[in-house]
This record gives sequence, C-alpha cells and structure tokens, in this order.
Amino acid sequence: MPADKIFGIKRKWEPEEAEAWTKEDWLAIVISPFAYALLMVGLALLLFLQTSGIFLFGLGIIATVLVHLIIDPKLRAVSSEYEKKQKEYLERLDRVVRWRENE
Amino acid sequence: MIHFAWLDWLWLILYLLLMTICGIIFYRLGRRSESDFFLAGRGLPWWIPGMSVYATHTATDTPMWVSGVIYKYGLRGLWYTFFSAWCAVAAFVSARIFRRSLAYSQAEWQSLRFGGLGAELLRGWMSGWGAFLNMFILGWVSMAMGKLCNYLFGWENWVGLIIPSLIVAVYVLSAGYWGVVMADFQQGLVALFVIIFASLWGVREAGGPAEIISKLDALGEGWRLNPFHFSGFFTGDFPLAWFLTMMFIAVLGGFGMGTSIDWYAEAQRIQSSRTVRDASYSIWWGTVLTLTRNSFWAAAIIAFFVLFPNLSNAQEYEMAWYRIAFEHIPVGMVGFLFAGIIAIHFSTISTHLNLGAVYLTRDIYHHYINPEASEKTLVTAGRVATAVLLIGSFIYGLMMEEITRWLIFALWIMGAGMWLPNILQVVWWRFNSWGYLSAWIANLGFSWLVVWVLPAFKVIPELPDYLQFWTLMGLTALVYIPVTLLTAPEDKRHLARFYAMTRPIGWWKPIKEEARKLGLLA
Repeated sequence: MPADKIFGIKRKWEPEEAEAWTKEDWLAIVISPFAYALLMVGLALLLFLQTSGIFLFGLGIIATVLVHLIIDPKLRAVSSEYEKKQKEYLERLDRVVRWRENE
Repeated sequence: MIHFAWLDWLWLILYLLLMTICGIIFYRLGRRSESDFFLAGRGLPWWIPGMSVYATHTATDTPMWVSGVIYKYGLRGLWYTFFSAWCAVAAFVSARIFRRSLAYSQAEWQSLRFGGLGAELLRGWMSGWGAFLNMFILGWVSMAMGKLCNYLFGWENWVGLIIPSLIVAVYVLSAGYWGVVMADFQQGLVALFVIIFASLWGVREAGGPAEIISKLDALGEGWRLNPFHFSGFFTGDFPLAWFLTMMFIAVLGGFGMGTSIDWYAEAQRIQSSRTVRDASYSIWWGTVLTLTRNSFWAAAIIAFFVLFPNLSNAQEYEMAWYRIAFEHIPVGMVGFLFAGIIAIHFSTISTHLNLGAVYLTRDIYHHYINPEASEKTLVTAGRVATAVLLIGSFIYGLMMEEITRWLIFALWIMGAGMWLPNILQVVWWRFNSWGYLSAWIANLGFSWLVVWVLPAFKVIPELPDYLQFWTLMGLTALVYIPVTLLTAPEDKRHLARFYAMTRPIGWWKPIKEEARKLGLLA
C-alpha cells in the first residue's frame, strides 16, 4: 500500500476529491515544460558529446519521472470513476442505436 | 536524382503492402459505428494515440522547415520547434477537460461550452473552418511530397502529390480512424528508426562530433552549438524578447483549446483514448518524441552545415536533412529511408483526411442535415467526406504556389488574436459565445490592418512577428471583453451541466454553486 503523502504530495486519492484542481496538478504543470526543454536541448548537445548535454538530458529525465510520480495517482483516480460513468452512458447509447437500427 | 537498387525497391514494396493490408484488417472495426470510424471506439491505450501524435506531426515538409531554422540559427533554431510545448500543460489541463466532454471535435465542444444561437453559429463556423484547414494542410503536405519526388526521381510534381495520397485513401476510406491510428503506430516506429539512423549517419559522415565542433570553431561559427546565444533583448536576428514571447505563447497556450493549430488533431487522439489518464499521457509522450526527434535532426543539419557552410539560398539549405540522408546513406538502405519518408507522409495525410471528415460528417451532416441518421449512414457519409477532402486536396496542392502566402496569413490570424479567447473559453465562466465570435471577427480585421494595410501605407512600421502577436492580442481584447460584459452570460443551467461534465480549471465558482444547487455535484 502506498503512503498517503510523500514530501507533502498526496499519493492516495478518492475519485471525488481527485476531481478538484490541487497543488499536484500545478506542480505537474510547472515542471512539465522544463522537462520538455531539458530533454530537447540536452539530447541535441549530448549528440555532440558535450558535458552540458549529459547534465541537461539527465535533469530532463529526472523532471519527467517527477511529473509522473506527482500526477499519476491522481490521474488514475480521476480515470477510474469517470470511465465507469462514461462506460454506462456509452452502453446505454449503444442499446438505443441498435434498437433504432433493428426497427 | 538517386539510384534505387533492387533491395531499395524491395523495402518500398514491402512497406506499401504492409500499409494497405492494415486497411483490410481493420475494415470490420471501422464500419461498426460513427464512434469507431472517427475515434476507434474511444478505447485506445495511451501509447497508440501517443505514437500517432508523433507520426502526424512528422510530415514531409517538417524536415525542410527544421533544416531551414537550424541551418540559419544553429541550435537556437530548436526553440522555433518548441511551440509544441503547449502539450506540456495541455496534457494535464485541457486534455483532461476535453476528454471528459465526449465531444467528437472542437466544433462540437463549442456547442457544449456555449448555448443557444451563438453556440450554433460557432459550431457551424468551426466545422467549416476545420474542414477547410484540413484540406489546406493535405494540399500543402502533398505538394511537399511532390517536390521531394521531383528531387529524388525527377518525376513531375503532380505524381508525388497524387499517387501516395491515393494509396493512403485505401486504408482511410475502408477502416476510418482505426486504419489511421494503427498505421500511424507502424509508421511512427519506422520513421523514428529512419530519422535516428540517417541523422547519426550524417554526423558520422561529417567526421563525428569532435570533428564537427573543431570545424565550427575554425569557421568562427562555434556559437551554433549554444541554444541560448541571444542577439540582444530587442535587437538582432535572435532577440530574447522573441524567445520570451514564444515561451509565453507555447506554455500558457496549454490552458486553452485551439491555441495551436495542432490542437485539432490532438483533440481526436485525446477522445480516442480509453481513459483521461491515457489521453493525458498520449499527448505528453507523443510530444516528447516530437521534440527529441528535432534534436536528432538538428545534429544532422549542423553536420550538413560544416560540409556546406556557405549556402544563402533558403530553398537549398532547407533540403539539408534530406541531402545528408539520401546522399550519404549506404546502398540498399536508400529504399528503407524512402519507406521512412513515405511513412512520415502517410501518417500526416491519413490523419487530416479522417479529421477533416469528422467535421463534415459529425458537425455538418449529422448535426445540421440528417440528425436521425443511422450508424450505417454516418459511416457511409464519413467515407464520402473523406473522398471529397482527398479530391479537394489535389486541387489545393496544384494551386498551392499561388495561395500559400494568403493561407499562411490565414493561419496567423488564428494564432495571434484568438490565443487569449481560446484560453478564456476554458478558464472563465463569464466568457460567452458572443465574446468568442466577436474575437474571431475583430481578429480578422485587425490582422489585415496590423500585418499588411497599415505598414503598406507607412502608418506603422513593419513589426516583427512577436510584436505583431502582442499588438493583435491587445487590440482584439478591446473588442471581445466589452462585448462579453455587455451581453448576457450563458444560461447558468447549461453551464452547470457543462461544469459537472468537464470540471474546468479557473474562475467557475458561481457555476460550481449552481451545479451543487441542481444536484449535479456531490
């Protein structure tokens, strides 16, 4: 079982509380563009075997892992609840459509 | 002109067979329903639409464009390609909101976000614009393929423009989005391998990393490996003010929908994902592949620069990556490389054929012409729409030289003054359909004035693109903010239902309270 919080980051979510926008979302939003920039520039410099490339690309990988550690538990909680509702809705829609087509 | 050995032809024929078989395999899935034909039944794990995001945004003309900016600006040119960083934020904001809406397209989303006559006007406008835009992109990209075939084989431009698109049409017409996304997955993998292989080969041919660096230093061009080599705050060819503006547009654009032209293709991938989580990761990882692909290209183009440092004609140096790839790759691999280029081309064409057909079928035919249409009729309509787009793209492609300048201007119109309204519609409950419509109209007028008319009459100087952006953003806001505040807000019950469905970010407190009052929220 994962701990409820690690370094102040919530790791266990109930679906309803995961619907709200929280600091975990904001952290992912802020770190994510840095991950992109570091991966892109770091890799280009790494291909020329520059030390700065290794450093920046490494930071990009760390930022990527961080984003996912922060946001993944929340995305899982949002998805499980919402997709259950969506599945029921789509199944109902499917039944209606089939009924119409069989008329 | 290049020479194809028998092994080259073998690679190419095997690849084309693989692609067309794809259409036959997924034919049964694509014809089941409108949702299957356009969204693969909303059941895809993130890595399939993710690869499709990458494959779609790797078009035949993309290496030409990237070659142009890297040859001219060195690694600083990578920031020109960084506009796709809007996905860094969109993956966790607008993708989540849009996926919850169940809208097929951005045009449909407008009628969920807004209500009444304004919403219908917006949906009609957006669907017409969407169909046109996709036809334009198809023509543009097909023409790039025509030019490439002319360079490689000496064929007339129309051959490369028409023949590859006809092959793509086989699997798009038969299997719809199922065919598109499954073929994209294979095409993405092939293209990724080819780009990495050919780029690293190019670096090797220029003498390897150490040799390239010493040649750059000898030429006095060592700055080309510094991605942060700014020419001043406002001055020179690479001002810091441009960089900051681009970051602002790219990153904050992720809070909105449609702030980048790529949003519309991404929107389809978001809706085809099986969960909100899959939708988020599909665009996040697809964009990581796109950005790191640019790094490989950049390395090869810098290698090309040290081999040919004095090219001043853009048409010549824009072929940098193609030249270093095709002129240096070993015999027998040229066909594989060309198959990779075909993969790049097919993935872009198939996406825009199917996406354009969404607007024509779902937003125009199904919504306005035949709301009672059966699933079978809708799939047939989707196929007819695909064929119409295909023929339209041929006509566009053949007249592209004359109209390109006008159409680039049309795209710029979407980007500048509409950037903020595209965010406001997501984050501010009070922003209404009349505000959004007035922004479109005002932006159209102001764009003409600021970009062309006033500089032509020397009323204002010709502004660099980043200053045009700020000017258009400010001028358009002078129209849509008063229009929004002077017209009635959207119906609160409509907004409450929208809120309960999508849970948008930003200033939605009164609507959240209304949704609670109506029992839509716990």
